[in-house]
Amino acid sequence: MAEPGDRVKAMTNDGSFEGILMPGSNNSVFIKLDSGYNIGIDSKKISSLKVLGRGMKKKDEVKQVKKKNNLPSIAILHTGGTIASKVDYRTGGVSAGYSAEEFLEMFPGLSEIANIETKAVLNIMSEDICFADYVKLANAIEEFSGKCDGIIIGHGTDTLSYTSAALAFMFEKINIPVILVGSQRSSDRGSSDSAMNVQSAARFIASSDFAGIAICMHSSSNDDQCAIFSPLKTRKMHTSRRDAFKAINDTPIALVDSFGKMDFIKKDYSRKSNEKTILKPGFEKDVCLLKTHPNMSQDIFDFCTKRYKAIVIEGTGLGHAPVNISNNQKNYEALKSYIKKGGIVAVTSQCIYGRVHPSVYSNLRRLSEIGCIFCEDMLPETAFIKAAWLLGNYKPAEAAGLLAANLRGEITERSLYEKDFLEYSYKN
Amino acid sequence: MDYIKLGFKCGLEIHQQLEGRKLFCHCIPGAGKKEPDAEVVRKLRASAGEMGIIDISAKHEMEKGRHFIYESSSESTCLVELDEEPIHQLSQEALDTALTVSLLLNCTIADEIVFMRKTVIDGSNTSGFQRTALIAYNGFLETSRGKVIIPTICLEEEAAQKVEESNDCVRYRLDRLGIPLIEIATDASLKDPEHVKESAEKIGMILRSTGKVRRGIGTIRQDVNLSIKGHPRVEIKGFQDLRSIIKTINIEVQRQLAEKKPESHVRKVNPDFTTSYLRPMPGPARMYVETDMRTIRISKEALSRIKLPSLISEKANNLEKFGIGGPVADKLAREGKDAYFVSLFGKFSSLKPSFIVEAFLSVKAISKDFSAPEQKLTDQVIEKALALVDEGKLQKGNMYEAMADIAKGKFEIGKYSSASENELESAIESIVKEKPGLKEGAYMGLIMGKFHGKVDGKKAMQILKRLIG
Repeated sequence: MAEPGDRVKAMTNDGSFEGILMPGSNNSVFIKLDSGYNIGIDSKKISSLKVLGRGMKKKDEVKQVKKKNNLPSIAILHTGGTIASKVDYRTGGVSAGYSAEEFLEMFPGLSEIANIETKAVLNIMSEDICFADYVKLANAIEEFSGKCDGIIIGHGTDTLSYTSAALAFMFEKINIPVILVGSQRSSDRGSSDSAMNVQSAARFIASSDFAGIAICMHSSSNDDQCAIFSPLKTRKMHTSRRDAFKAINDTPIALVDSFGKMDFIKKDYSRKSNEKTILKPGFEKDVCLLKTHPNMSQDIFDFCTKRYKAIVIEGTGLGHAPVNISNNQKNYEALKSYIKKGGIVAVTSQCIYGRVHPSVYSNLRRLSEIGCIFCEDMLPETAFIKAAWLLGNYKPAEAAGLLAANLRGEITERSLYEKDFLEYSYKN
Repeated sequence: MDYIKLGFKCGLEIHQQLEGRKLFCHCIPGAGKKEPDAEVVRKLRASAGEMGIIDISAKHEMEKGRHFIYESSSESTCLVELDEEPIHQLSQEALDTALTVSLLLNCTIADEIVFMRKTVIDGSNTSGFQRTALIAYNGFLETSRGKVIIPTICLEEEAAQKVEESNDCVRYRLDRLGIPLIEIATDASLKDPEHVKESAEKIGMILRSTGKVRRGIGTIRQDVNLSIKGHPRVEIKGFQDLRSIIKTINIEVQRQLAEKKPESHVRKVNPDFTTSYLRPMPGPARMYVETDMRTIRISKEALSRIKLPSLISEKANNLEKFGIGGPVADKLAREGKDAYFVSLFGKFSSLKPSFIVEAFLSVKAISKDFSAPEQKLTDQVIEKALALVDEGKLQKGNMYEAMADIAKGKFEIGKYSSASENELESAIESIVKEKPGLKEGAYMGLIMGKFHGKVDGKKAMQILKRLIG
């Protein structure tokens, strides 16, 4: 029986095809011809498939990398995603969880910046991540934090900023830099942004006094500079561009160019110290993020108030929700009695940029009067993670009290003027 | 040169750009004249292909450690060319054209088409690879020296255009990147440079017969794979002009004969028809599957939708049967005007086909002679004039002037109406009476002068002969 990777000869009426068998489908057999091209042959046309030789094993000779004494040590924790994946020709899929040696083979520049060790903590695409995974990741960070100078977390970009927010809340104190890195172009392609993102994160770890959680991604479509972003005020704002991550209602922490030159934009970032790591790993799973929209069904409010311990509303404009006209009066009543019984309702804005307000319009006052908590300029996703984390570690009344307080930099007090609010003018 | 003795082995690879949108996005390639409105800086890295081996030619480029600047214009590029958005659906038009050409070249079509990523890190593709798929195989081309096998036909993306190059940086324009390109390869059975030229011309003619190929400088390129006994294969890239093919191949054969330490590699054609080293020969390790799309199954129904066009050579032959000269017939066939002219030959059946064609080919001269704007001398204007001649209302000799008048909008049939036979006879009679004893030619001159050419010369001659004969 021929298996993917074997050298085969397929006989058909259209002639014979010789090459390496690729993973197929029900209808077709795929063969990689000696020219390098793959061709699909209708399975029904194949009269015989002869194995000429068993599969060539992938080159597994990986050079052992010697540790250099003068370099800092960095632990790379994998969670899955495209950042450290390559095409597996046997399955056609992507594989992750590389050894340090393999990782260095992919990103050879890294060995000049740091001594690397790696661990696969998770192996899932980021859209499937659960709160339990945050805890696994936090435990791995705690484990490595005592024995390395910094940690890089390879993460899928889709929910990377949720994870960064979770880690930022969980670690009340951490004395090394923990940088989340993603990739918008898969590592198998020559144009991948992964190498520059990983190397910039490593350079930042190696040569700054920053301690805490941050994100490192391209600052523009160019391969010349990465930005170090806040874990709580950053959002993926584009489905596919390299510079998808943007600081929202904030500036990046620093910029790192491809030669390793660093520019700190923030001056008040957390620095390395000798304090002990404090990890608060609790999470309440019954929290939801609810986006309001026109013609919203009352059933949704009804369901959420019955099902969850906290509801983060991604309202319109300054924080509005459909609770005012007679048709929507039931929504209002549902929220009112929910909060009365101890439920938490947080209000954020789907505008993404800007700050919500509890009293500009009478409709906003109606929400704040019944106890909805207006979350200032906090991102809806950050508020969602924060509510779940607060309820996992504090009593509900305490959690409610902390929701609109600035614990880790998730809220800024001053909204600074920028000519173009979408692009903060941190670029020189 | 004795090519048999030299062990001359040669194959062709023809790259032809196709009409329509780009292969994997909805940009329409413009004229490329618009100035770029953005540029990005990128780096490329070699990565292991699906066999886990870094391709040698890819590594060669990585070792250069260069960066690339891409100039883009929103007229003809989008995020796809900038490698900032996944590919859109394959252009069905381009696929259909590739299938048409494959069938015209007697190929078998692949049951299922798999787009591959061919690692290219000289920067000419922002992604670091060129998307390419094997569409058809095992065809042939009829030539005067026998059948030439066409082992493969591929459909691929055109590369970006190099603007400038320095040691550490190459500048590219993205307008061209992603234009559909059909690649036709022959086997190495071409017998000598003349045969190479003939085969290239014939394939070019077949491509143009589809009416779906881009025209103009750089839209078709020929690469030649060449070896002689005792020397490894060399690929020569970038023949733009078939006229240079014979000369360049001869110079290359001389170069190989003089070469001491041969190694297989890729060369490019220089303006003086010599060639120079470009890069090592790429291997199969640089190909892996394009994972951003599904494979494409070519069903019988899809193939039955493909309508094969008649070849330009067949169309030209058809025109020649009407008495149209070879070069003119060829020109009209290439322009796709053959069917139109055949219909005119039927419509104006009393006129000679060559007379009809001549009228269309004389537009420039008519415009000049009768100072009528060229763009107003339309097919409709010419047809109107031809109809008048065909119906006997206009003398052939006056047709061009009439065309100009029609074009200018001041045509009056009265100006051209022929003198009646009686009028003509009495006029000739009086001329002969006035000036007796002149020669035939002299009388004809006087007659034509009197009627300003508005008489049928043949008829006038008949009358004259009767009167003086």
